[in-house]
Amino acid sequence: MLHLLPFFQWCDSTAVGQAIRDSRVLFPIIESVHLFALTVLLGTIIVLNLRLAGFGLRTQAMPRVAGSLAPLTFWSLLTMLASGFLLFCSEALKCYDSPPFFIKMAALFLAIVFHWTVFRRLVNSSAEPGRARAFATVAVSMILWFGVATAGRAIGFY
Amino acid sequence: MSIPDLCQWLQNTPWGVGIRESTLMFPVIEGTHAIGIALSVGVLLIMDLRLAGVLMRREPVSEISNQLMPWSLGGFAIMFVTGVLLFWSQAMKAYGSIFFRIKLALLVLAAINALVFELTLRRSIATWDTAEKPPFRVRMAGVMGIVLWAGVIAAGRTMAYNF
Repeated sequence: MLHLLPFFQWCDSTAVGQAIRDSRVLFPIIESVHLFALTVLLGTIIVLNLRLAGFGLRTQAMPRVAGSLAPLTFWSLLTMLASGFLLFCSEALKCYDSPPFFIKMAALFLAIVFHWTVFRRLVNSSAEPGRARAFATVAVSMILWFGVATAGRAIGFY
Repeated sequence: MSIPDLCQWLQNTPWGVGIRESTLMFPVIEGTHAIGIALSVGVLLIMDLRLAGVLMRREPVSEISNQLMPWSLGGFAIMFVTGVLLFWSQAMKAYGSIFFRIKLALLVLAAINALVFELTLRRSIATWDTAEKPPFRVRMAGVMGIVLWAGVIAAGRTMAYNF
């Protein structure tokens, strides 16, 4: 991770990072936005995975549920990335020293890639997927997204 | 026994001390409480967005409610259990925290909002169940829910850091 240090140092030294550090209220406010957007994002992920497993919104076709929730997933994720980057700038060097932070970023990358490739293809196809495939997809999706959240929580502890 | 005395007693019980001084238990309980927000409030928000006439407008409200609420309620059961355990282990701190009190107040308001909806607005559901945009009061109940839960989350987050 040595080659990433300059990037972390640059982020840490930005004006916005400094402003958040200097203010007493900015960090809590931005973090609260981050947590609320997370609630929305994980809410859509849970409802999508419930449907994929055959629970929850059972009377709607899978692609219909996916289509309804896609904008919510997208915008809440965008909000998380924006607020997350701001929070990161205010404590980039602290994150550099945090193993959970790197785990979180790796899981986030995988979660996004998985969601917008394998997962999206499956939930948008009108053919009901086989049980095995559906459960495997649900498992990967839940482990990745909740892995990001858990690692994020762990940053505070280590 | 006054409330502060009760809190002192509570957090000094073997359970309370055990959780508070544990290396693994407290983080696991607190982590579950934080992650459980997704199952309880996250799913509920989708329901509230339907009430507000924003999401899944062509599905009947009652259908979404019947299919999603059990999961949300299960989530709230988890939140309640973990919340009680967290309070139990640090009752004095929580009691003395203004953010904890704000959080509880907002929780009560959110519960009242839900109760008012169940007892009054839901009576007329047959007339607006399939409406893309439910009546104003129903939409307001949805919006109020979203706002109040955002407040609970913010208060909970601030409480965790301002202890």
